[in-house]
Amino acid sequence: MKKKQLLSTMAVLGLAMSMTAGCGSNNGNNDGTAASNNKATNAAATNDNAAATNAVASEEPAAPKIAGKVVFTTNRTDLVDTELKNYADKFHEKYPDATVEIEAIKDYDQTTKIRMASNELADISLIPGTVKNSDLPNFYMPLDDLGLNDRIYFKDNRSQDGKLYGISSGSAAMGVTYNKKAFATAGITAVPKTLDELFAAAEKLKAAGIIPLATNFKDKWPLYGWDQEAFIFANDPALHNTMATQDEPFAVDGPHWQAFSILKKMVDSGYVEKDLMSTNWEGSKKDVASGKIAMFLLGNWVVPQVVDNGAAAEDVGFFPLPLDNSGEAKVILASDYYYGIDKNSDNPDTAKAFLKFLIEESGYDDYAGFIPVLKDKQPKLAQLNEFMATNPKVIEMAAENDDYLAIANKMQFDTSAFAQDAIMGKDMKTVFESYNKKWKDAKAAVGK
Amino acid sequence: MFAMSYKVQRYVILFSFLTLPLLLLAVFSFYPAVYLAWLSFTSWDGYSPDKAWVGFSNYKEIFTNADIFKVLSHNFVYFIGGIVQNILALIFAVLLNSRLRGRNTFRALLFLPYIMNSVAIAYMFTYVYDAQNGSLNALLTSVGLESWIKSWLGDAGIVNYSLAFISMWKFMGFNMVIYLGALQSIPGDLYEAAKIDGAGPFQSFFYITWPSIIKIVELSMLLTVSGALEVFDLPFVMTKGGPAGASQTFVTQTVETAFNFSNYGLASAMGMVLLLIVVLVIFIQRKLILRGEE
Repeated sequence: MKKKQLLSTMAVLGLAMSMTAGCGSNNGNNDGTAASNNKATNAAATNDNAAATNAVASEEPAAPKIAGKVVFTTNRTDLVDTELKNYADKFHEKYPDATVEIEAIKDYDQTTKIRMASNELADISLIPGTVKNSDLPNFYMPLDDLGLNDRIYFKDNRSQDGKLYGISSGSAAMGVTYNKKAFATAGITAVPKTLDELFAAAEKLKAAGIIPLATNFKDKWPLYGWDQEAFIFANDPALHNTMATQDEPFAVDGPHWQAFSILKKMVDSGYVEKDLMSTNWEGSKKDVASGKIAMFLLGNWVVPQVVDNGAAAEDVGFFPLPLDNSGEAKVILASDYYYGIDKNSDNPDTAKAFLKFLIEESGYDDYAGFIPVLKDKQPKLAQLNEFMATNPKVIEMAAENDDYLAIANKMQFDTSAFAQDAIMGKDMKTVFESYNKKWKDAKAAVGK
Repeated sequence: MFAMSYKVQRYVILFSFLTLPLLLLAVFSFYPAVYLAWLSFTSWDGYSPDKAWVGFSNYKEIFTNADIFKVLSHNFVYFIGGIVQNILALIFAVLLNSRLRGRNTFRALLFLPYIMNSVAIAYMFTYVYDAQNGSLNALLTSVGLESWIKSWLGDAGIVNYSLAFISMWKFMGFNMVIYLGALQSIPGDLYEAAKIDGAGPFQSFFYITWPSIIKIVELSMLLTVSGALEVFDLPFVMTKGGPAGASQTFVTQTVETAFNFSNYGLASAMGMVLLLIVVLVIFIQRKLILRGEE
């Protein structure tokens, strides 16, 4: 009896094993064939391209063949099935042989860096912000032949050795987005032009039961504007790079001190959310749209998002943050992500064609509320045009250089966390001193 | 196959059964571990093709930079929570091991949180702890305890306790089930004999129950310690290490070092150090608890 049982168990186990083994090898085979199939098609595609380029070489006028599939990765998980898909469809209409697949990635920078490391970069992608310019040639192909060099802003920011590797997807102005109705309810008749007027307006809003400014303190990243305002205080489009040459860049009364002091005063006077640690980013957009909160300090890209959350477009306005009492309007423009094309793309011509399409024809910059990267194209956002009509002094933010990135990464410097620490710390001076010390140590450690 | 001797057959079976699991282990566990160890000696930034060898400088930095080890004090809160969790689990196990009406229902209820996905739990408690609209503060208001209202996730002094409570709530049921199993393996006649000899409930707990389950307690403590050292999901999902780094744990800090600040080399070294700490703690624990037994 017992022996019989043992035997049958063995038999079952043996059977199971052979089955799993079978599965294993089958899978292996399938993978193998799939992979080789892919390779075959890829090879065919490249051959086609090679043939096409050869043809171009021999008879000048023929354009490179726009065909095959390219993949575009984006951080806009919210647009992948709607607006961005339209662009892919339109591109396919224009070039019937070519298709674009759009892939949205959450935690974009982290995931993309892993793909870079494993040579899995999509044909067209957004270059993660922390990638150093000196690494660009290892991963991306030069884009000088797109013929856009003389027509775009921020051309030098993602260039290396005189070649262009990244094209800005658009830029945004830093400023105050506000709900005009909330201002009217509080009895504010004119947009604040000086710092005193700003605080006076905040006081009126508070008295009317409206939260004057949404900081979104908890989420940390929405504080990045205060670092950008420091650029204006310093009157230096490359403040971060200048910091990389200094041992103690965070001086009392320095640019960051001045910028954070405005935020600090806002917080201390109760002009912000009641509990800074349970702020809610998605909720704050609804609150600004409905007038429960009056202002944001963010890039102008937030304007369309407030409108999406239920505000009438004519009720949303945008003005530069007044930094002092001089009344002079100053504004900083910062580029959003840069597009890059994978060095090892199988269909580089198609990828380039789609990139050109994205920049020149898609209208994505208008949709996202960006200032277009093309110099000859006017921004569509009415609020932005209104704002630019006041002729503010414009500072174009320069790209962060490798020295700055090296020090910042070493020290684990996060500008928004710096703003958080400055506000939460008991004494701003101590916080600045400790940041100075860390900066100095990190700078010494990386030998810059 | 049947012409093989018994010995050969045995080896064939042994090897064929072990190849697959060992292969999986090697590919997904040993190889990454060795690679991690190698990376910890480089200054790799996470994407460049070159991985420069820097020797022990990453380790040197870990042990000289006070900021890195400071976060272990946050992990310590989870350890305290873990001890409370073990005590509670043992109490519930003893209670639910006795004849009690509806004990199976209670067992199921207490075990339920363990089955839930930890990210779902994190989201759930985000609403519970929300300072303005959260259910916890609403409850306190409705029973007249307004003075107890806190910003549970926003106060640097409280946030770790709030998070440790969740992990206690989640893992208590699991501990309880393990203890229940151990309790049920103690033969009933031991208690009967003790009762005849005149032992009370406390005496029978400390002289029969405790010595019988000490091995399981040791296992639970081991899981608690390594669990406390490796807390990641709750702070990562709920607070992102905030406010201002107050709920950062060793692992969330490692992840940040690698992914936000492009310092894979240092992060790998931090991973290795964490591994060593866990091994060391287990070693000490075994020496302390098993002394006199071997």
